[in-house]
Amino acid sequence: MSEAMVKLGASPEVDHGGGWMRRLNLGTAIAGGVILGAIGWFFAHHFTDSTDPRVSDQVTLITLACWAIGFMVGIGAFNGPIRWLTGRDQTHADEMFLAGKDQGVSRYFRFTTDHKVVGIQYLVATMLLLGCGGTLAMMIRTQLITPHSTFLGPQTYNSIVGLHGIIMIIATIIMVTGPFGNFILPIMIGARDMAFPRLNALSFWLLAAAIPVLLSAGFMGGIPTGWSGYAPLADQAPPGMDGYLMAIIIFAISSAVAGANITTTVLTMRARGMTWNRTPIFIYGTVASVGLALPALPMFMSAQVLLAVDRTVSGKFYDAAGGGSPWLYQNLFWLFGHPEVYVILVPAVIALMELTPVFARKPLYNFNAAVLGIVGIVGLSVMVWAHHMYASGWAPDLNGPFMLTTEMISVPTGVLFLVVIGTIWRGKIWTTIPMMATYAMLWNFIIGGVTGIYLSDVPADYDLHGSMFVTAHFHYTLMGAGLTGAIGALFYWFPKMTGRMLSHKLGLVSFWMVQIGFNVVFLGMFAVGLAGQPRRVFTYDHMFAVGNFVSSIGAYVIGLGMLVLLYTVISGWRRGPIAPSNPWGGKTLEWAVPNPIPLENFEVLPVVISDAYGYGEGDVSPGHWVEPAEPLEPAHAGAGAPDVETSTVPLQEGRAE
Amino acid sequence: MTITTSMDDASNRARRFVRRRDVRQVFLLWLALTVVLVVFGATVPARLMGAGASPSMHAIKNTMTLFSIAAAPVAAVVWAIALYSLIAWRHRGNTQPESDGPPLRTNKPAAVLWILLSSVLCVFLLIWGLAEMGSVDAAGATSDAMVVDVTGQQWVWTFSYPQEGNIESDQLYLPVDKPVVFHVTSKDVIHSFWVVQLGIKVDANPGETTTTSVVPDRIGVYDVRCAELCGLLHADMETNAHVVSADDFNKWVADNGGQSS
Amino acid sequence: MVLGMAATVGGGVIVVALTGTILWRGSAQASPLYATVKGTADTPQGVLPHAFLTIDTYPDSMAGEHGSDGGAHPDWVSYGPSSDLRVPAHALVTVTINQYDGGETITNPYFASVHGTVDGTETVNGKSVTKVDPDAVGHTFTIHAAPTNQDPLFVSVPLPAVPDDTPNAPNSDYPPPNVVTFSFITGGPGDYVWNCEFPCGDGYYAKFGGPMATRGYMSGTLKVS
Repeated sequence: MSEAMVKLGASPEVDHGGGWMRRLNLGTAIAGGVILGAIGWFFAHHFTDSTDPRVSDQVTLITLACWAIGFMVGIGAFNGPIRWLTGRDQTHADEMFLAGKDQGVSRYFRFTTDHKVVGIQYLVATMLLLGCGGTLAMMIRTQLITPHSTFLGPQTYNSIVGLHGIIMIIATIIMVTGPFGNFILPIMIGARDMAFPRLNALSFWLLAAAIPVLLSAGFMGGIPTGWSGYAPLADQAPPGMDGYLMAIIIFAISSAVAGANITTTVLTMRARGMTWNRTPIFIYGTVASVGLALPALPMFMSAQVLLAVDRTVSGKFYDAAGGGSPWLYQNLFWLFGHPEVYVILVPAVIALMELTPVFARKPLYNFNAAVLGIVGIVGLSVMVWAHHMYASGWAPDLNGPFMLTTEMISVPTGVLFLVVIGTIWRGKIWTTIPMMATYAMLWNFIIGGVTGIYLSDVPADYDLHGSMFVTAHFHYTLMGAGLTGAIGALFYWFPKMTGRMLSHKLGLVSFWMVQIGFNVVFLGMFAVGLAGQPRRVFTYDHMFAVGNFVSSIGAYVIGLGMLVLLYTVISGWRRGPIAPSNPWGGKTLEWAVPNPIPLENFEVLPVVISDAYGYGEGDVSPGHWVEPAEPLEPAHAGAGAPDVETSTVPLQEGRAE
Repeated sequence: MTITTSMDDASNRARRFVRRRDVRQVFLLWLALTVVLVVFGATVPARLMGAGASPSMHAIKNTMTLFSIAAAPVAAVVWAIALYSLIAWRHRGNTQPESDGPPLRTNKPAAVLWILLSSVLCVFLLIWGLAEMGSVDAAGATSDAMVVDVTGQQWVWTFSYPQEGNIESDQLYLPVDKPVVFHVTSKDVIHSFWVVQLGIKVDANPGETTTTSVVPDRIGVYDVRCAELCGLLHADMETNAHVVSADDFNKWVADNGGQSS
Repeated sequence: MVLGMAATVGGGVIVVALTGTILWRGSAQASPLYATVKGTADTPQGVLPHAFLTIDTYPDSMAGEHGSDGGAHPDWVSYGPSSDLRVPAHALVTVTINQYDGGETITNPYFASVHGTVDGTETVNGKSVTKVDPDAVGHTFTIHAAPTNQDPLFVSVPLPAVPDDTPNAPNSDYPPPNVVTFSFITGGPGDYVWNCEFPCGDGYYAKFGGPMATRGYMSGTLKVS
């Protein structure tokens, strides 16, 4: 029993309702969702007019919303607020329980607030989504392996294309900020947990609630629109569209919560001495990404809410005949859609930027330029959205200004390249998988970025918009740079997150299969796009046959490579060699904590005295952090008092290497 | 005693820099990659896009070629350094290197030069793009242009010629070398009217009319495709654009019950 | 390790293959309807084999390819008996459509006219016309496809509506149909699609959702071989 509990007074600790609260887990969440969803369905049927042609949409949306609320009730998301409102706030024991203390594997299936648990949960969710999206990609490329395949009918194919897209977009939005932004970031800034641990769990479980909603779309007639869900086609769509739009609404809430949490954590909970100059670049990139997501995701959400109004009560927001405008949807969507690609890209590239100094054994080159590059990209990205609408006819006079802003983004993007190649310059290149990911990013992102310049040119876009060229361009950036960066980050931080090393040999096999397969697929796709193949077509002209065949073969290679990666991760997690606490010789704070990481990360909160890039500076370098002479107070009441004895160890030089 | 100004200092540093072995080798690598990429950029995109049939499409192809050539040295510098680093600076062995690399943190001149060059390139691409956009958007938009009304309906394109007696057709016929303006609309969802070899594309929106224009300059049969997912048979929403001589066009009009203007 | 790798990769391949099989089965069309060839005919393109095809349009899906209970959407209008039509190449194809459904004003008058038939006409209940009243169109039958390495084929015929107050024919669930007949000449082998271009998907935006946008109801394939 810790001292803290005795301090509460004479009466012994009583578990107020701890019994049922502590029994809530994924199972009760699903039960809650199903029960409330069924109730919602029943009442929706009862109170809606069954002759209304829109009744199936009304019932579907109500049912899905009830599922989500029931799921959140079942996982215990409302416990904290309810307990606080009824005056029986959670006790320290409750908070320790919620943080997963001494619970083993079961804490991963509960509303656990420990950021390390949430990070692992996000990692598994990302892998699940990538698996679903990847399977759909295999379907797509199988259909397109010959010009007039009868493998899939047109509505099935269109649905698969749309679902593949939205599943992958959600997966790539969370793939770096989810696992690593949650697990690594608080440790990297020298904090014990996030600023809002309960919101941390909330953001994950909202995502978990949204995933079945999204997948249900496939069983309710699918979506005919592609992942962008353009109205008015989305208005015409079967009830699967309701699954899509409800999943987006839930996901937008999840992102907003996570974004507020990460931003507050970084702004207020950095270790003492961690000035902005000493803050690792990964922190900048993550904050930039979630900070960008905070205004962007609500635009997507509002586009879907208006669509829901159109679909359920014939709202006419997007119906020109009723006074609305189809261009309204496009503007709302792309106000989200363009910042969103940087939400995806920036954390992945920044994670690579964080790990490159470690494997080149050199400081990060031009740190200030890196920060300016990130700020420039994020700032400009909110001003370029209508380059997706050059051919829409919405505002032809604005095509020129949007071309200007879009081409301007190439300058801060170029700065990021300078930082990476400057870090590599004259380094001691240790070719681990994370470092190879950096090189793959350098190849893929150049191609992706240059082809983006083509698309930013208005007349060229008149030819290329809506063709497979666009598809190849965004796969090169989001997958070639984005997913590659996430895989590099995984191999880099896996030893810290799980205490085991991933196999380098297996990693090599998977890396080369995925990268070579990837380039084969999408270089072939550039070719057919230039030759005139439109996007999202289930059959195509014979003249595109060779390019598509080549692309499909490459896709199968990616699929096999990703399965090898899956095995690598599973076998590494279960039986990989035990990792030392700092296998790569990194200097950032996460490498300073031992494996397994204590519940509250640090016995004693460190004091930062310099940045984390002091490679090559030998004895002159002060190192990134030291242990203070007297331990600092706990970071935040929310995180709870550290469950350890206070330490009186005198000042020590702590080199993080 | 030699007195050196800071300018001499900087230029001395620069001279020492370019005489270094690794810098020279990277430069040679960069040169080789640039040549390869320029050859690629000058030939492949234009070849893949096929022969254009209007000045607009020729301009687009020129842009793609020019941008590819301009991108070549940029891509080459990144790839040359990346490649060279794997050849010359690679740490052999699978454990952490015993010592670190040199502590190079900041190089303001390099950053400034890099940002300056990329900004100049950006401005150049922009000016080119604006000029080209002006000429392409104005092509065919003259007062004597023929008007064709394009209607997209799920999942068929139909064309109507108001100046030729309102004849209607599912095939697009155009006389060569005559400017033509398309008024494009949709009866239901958003489609996109794309005549591939003429290099024009504009969305067909319900309740709105959008416009594009072009001057076809080569006789032939070209592809009209829908470029915006519009539902079930989006892939089949294609037809042909026939650019024919003026005489053949008049004959076609007459055959369809119209009168040539 | 080899066993684990084989299990993971093999397992993944099986999952993908299973998904593909389920989706393939789900997309499968009803059994095809073949045109019957009877003799030859004199056409502007010479003497060609003469093929005959009869299909119907219904105000619901009880009588088409979805079974007598109407399948998943019994109230959707549908073509029948199959949406997968097969006709011979280089032939004169005469199609008879029994149109049982009502209708209203067509949105695009282009489709109220006959296009692509041999002489530009269709026969409605015995009378030869080149277009029908655009205010009383039931459906259209429009054949089209991407012009890719196959002979182009574009045929569109409007099918007039049966007035709403017509009583059902004796021993039938439907009123007497409008019988529409038209002929067109097929080119070489190819895959084409057909769909109705008169929006009749009530309750959907632009009335083009639901049956209009689902293969097997108001949309199908035409294979020329």
